[in-house]
Amino acid sequence: MISVRNLRKSFNGREVLKDVSFDVWPGEMLALIGPSGCGKSTTLKLITGLLEPDDGEIVLNSKEIGLVFQGSALLNSLTVRENLALALRERKLPKREQDRIIMEDLTLVGLADYVDSFPTQLSGGQQKRTSFARAIVNDPKIVLYDEPTTGLDPVMSTIIEDYMIELENQLHAAGIVVTHQFSTWTRTAHRAILMHDGVIVWEGKPDDAMRSSNPYIVQFAKATKDGPMLTGTI
Amino acid sequence: MDSTVRKLSNGLHPIDALDKWFSDGVQLIGQATLTAVKTVKYALAGQIDLPEVFRQANMIGVGSLYVVGVTGLFTGFAMSLQISRELAAFGADTSVGGVVAFALIREVGPITAGVMVAGRVGSAIAAEISTMMVSEQIDALEIMRVDPVQFLVVPRFLAALVMIPALSIYSMTLGLAGAIFVAQAKSNIPPDIFLDSVKQTIVGSDFVTHIVKSLINACIIIFFSCAIGLHTRGGAEEVGHATTRAVVWTMTLIFIFNYIVTALSNLHTS
Amino acid sequence: MQAAQAKKIVASPFLLFEDWMTVGVGLCGQVGIVIAKTFYYILRMQIDWQESLRQAYFIGVKSFLVVGITSLFTGLAMSLQIVMQLVQFGGESAIGGVVSLALIRQIGPITAAIIVAGRVGSSIAAELTTMNISEQIDALKVMRIDPVKFLVVPRFIGAMAMMPVLSIYSMAIGLLAGMIIAQVVADVSFGVFLDSVKSTIIDQDFYVHFLKSAINAAIVIFYSCAIGLNTRGGAEDVGHAVTRAVVWSMTVMFIVNYVVTDLTYEGPR
Ligand SMILES: Nc1ncnc2c1ncn2[C@@H]1O[C@H](COP(=O)(O)OP(=O)(O)O)[C@@H](O)[C@H]1O
Ligand SMILES: [Mg+2]
Repeated sequence: MISVRNLRKSFNGREVLKDVSFDVWPGEMLALIGPSGCGKSTTLKLITGLLEPDDGEIVLNSKEIGLVFQGSALLNSLTVRENLALALRERKLPKREQDRIIMEDLTLVGLADYVDSFPTQLSGGQQKRTSFARAIVNDPKIVLYDEPTTGLDPVMSTIIEDYMIELENQLHAAGIVVTHQFSTWTRTAHRAILMHDGVIVWEGKPDDAMRSSNPYIVQFAKATKDGPMLTGTI
Repeated sequence: MDSTVRKLSNGLHPIDALDKWFSDGVQLIGQATLTAVKTVKYALAGQIDLPEVFRQANMIGVGSLYVVGVTGLFTGFAMSLQISRELAAFGADTSVGGVVAFALIREVGPITAGVMVAGRVGSAIAAEISTMMVSEQIDALEIMRVDPVQFLVVPRFLAALVMIPALSIYSMTLGLAGAIFVAQAKSNIPPDIFLDSVKQTIVGSDFVTHIVKSLINACIIIFFSCAIGLHTRGGAEEVGHATTRAVVWTMTLIFIFNYIVTALSNLHTS
Repeated sequence: MQAAQAKKIVASPFLLFEDWMTVGVGLCGQVGIVIAKTFYYILRMQIDWQESLRQAYFIGVKSFLVVGITSLFTGLAMSLQIVMQLVQFGGESAIGGVVSLALIRQIGPITAAIIVAGRVGSSIAAELTTMNISEQIDALKVMRIDPVKFLVVPRFIGAMAMMPVLSIYSMAIGLLAGMIIAQVVADVSFGVFLDSVKSTIIDQDFYVHFLKSAINAAIVIFYSCAIGLNTRGGAEDVGHAVTRAVVWSMTVMFIVNYVVTDLTYEGPR
């Protein structure tokens, strides 16, 4: 599970996260939504340890974390196979066993034929799926997705969302998905948190979002310009 | 063997690399020449944005002050250290100044300053213009019927024609000062003996050679880094490649043209 | 950021100097960390030899042409100047010695270093910064891989392996240029030229030459890697990183080159 308490983080004197607390249970997918620049990616980087918080506490039940980066972040100098092997490196498996896991993993995301391609030879959707395969190759108990569908066409978005749902069922991991794409969080998440101005302003089930009377989620879900989230401050 | 090389190099075989280098080179020289022709045409037609020229002169000149100064100074130190020790051993203390000044003014000074300015200014220009290319700012200019050469290259060219020779002279002066200091400190050659020797050796044409070399450096730096910048497409990775290419090409050409001028000036004197 | 800097330049070179110093001190700290980590991994023999070989190959292929061309033209220019001077005093027989002294002791190492900084340093800075802004470095860290071990160590080993080769190659081309000029301009035969070289150059000169090239290669690798690993942002910043890598590594090399010249001088011939 993931447990976050009173997280604070500033960059160059500007407080991006003021006070953020939430829990994610195994088998649960939490959506972190909010306008661009509200600190969603920063929250993920704090959880993975890429950044240190100024204050607050993060408790994880597993060291094994899978992170799907916004821009895929595959190593361009390595083939798909070598990219996945890098993630498996610590387990020191025999070559044959390692190859078996890699092929199994790639078959899951439908890319078994591309095992010896370089990332630059793949389309955006294929890179994203390779990045998925890399994130889950160690069967992590925590999986984090940073805008997994941003920049993809609607059909590819749906395919990616389906993979996320399937993986969630298989891994039984605690998951967080950061997104501002409506279909992604309503389809994949069990619970959602809306962040604004460094704090959580709404929390609930995706289905409740449209019915809520909370002015923030109403504005965000309906994508109107009238509401408490002023575009000037976003 | 061949397959090992290919595997090692991800397909960048030395022969392929040479071939690509050559065809890229021919294309680049064409692009730089076209940029140069257009630039000179606009400049001669008087279509000049003077405030922008001053801004660029400021960026090129003041922005390079410290790097060119430090490297000029240390080149002077090193040249003087070597030469004064060698010559002092033959009891030729009195000619140290002349030899050091000769080397600094005609050969090492222009090359050092040229290479530093290529690294500092050429790469910055290539980075800036290629970023404008990949973020479609140049496309926006063209849609507004603004010629990027007139808008971007002409002010940089005019500024460089003034600032790069100025930087070169500044570097040479610091180099000489450094040389005098080291000759005194390390080989006990008093500054007035050093300067006497400089006066006896250096003639007006040595300064002409220096200025000619730095003017040529300015043209190479501006036209090649602008041409490379203006022909970049893609993303962040290509901005990096463009900047690297600009550094490599301008430095290599500076070495080549430096020799050509040296050869021509020696032809003239002999 | 750039606009702010532009304003500062106009405002005062002194402010710019302050800026330069602050950046320089920060950079030296980053370089120090990269050096310490690199040697930590090397001493523990945690080296990816295959990747090191690949980097050595890339460094060699990338530098081969430019180092050749610049060494050739530096050799031509230096020897032309020296020949023209010596001929006036009837010192034809000393041409080889003076040319080789200039090339091996001073001009050769610094020329090769400048070119390696321009060619290898700039492409390493571009590559690592691109990896950084596309979050590839973060991806390594999430997989608990130290970027220094994965990226810097093989580049350092590769550069150290290639350095003597490039160094000898650059020296040989420079001397060849000197021989051609001596033959064509002063009618000095290759034999006379080489005799003069042999009676002037001692082993010590080669050791110092190698030492200088090794130090210069290390400066280029460490500065360009430290800059690449610490640059964030977008496309623009990749370009800035290349400029910084070239400028800083060349400046540091000029300073260190002088210090090494001073410390290793053995006395005149
Ligand atoms: N390493 C950093 N240094 C300085 N500012 C940063 C850094 N990372 C993020 N920021 C700033 O923090 C804010 C939140 O960023 P981020 O978490 O990426 O937002 P988003 O919610 O869109 O993912 C942004 O304004 C961004 O500019
Ligand atoms: Mg984000």
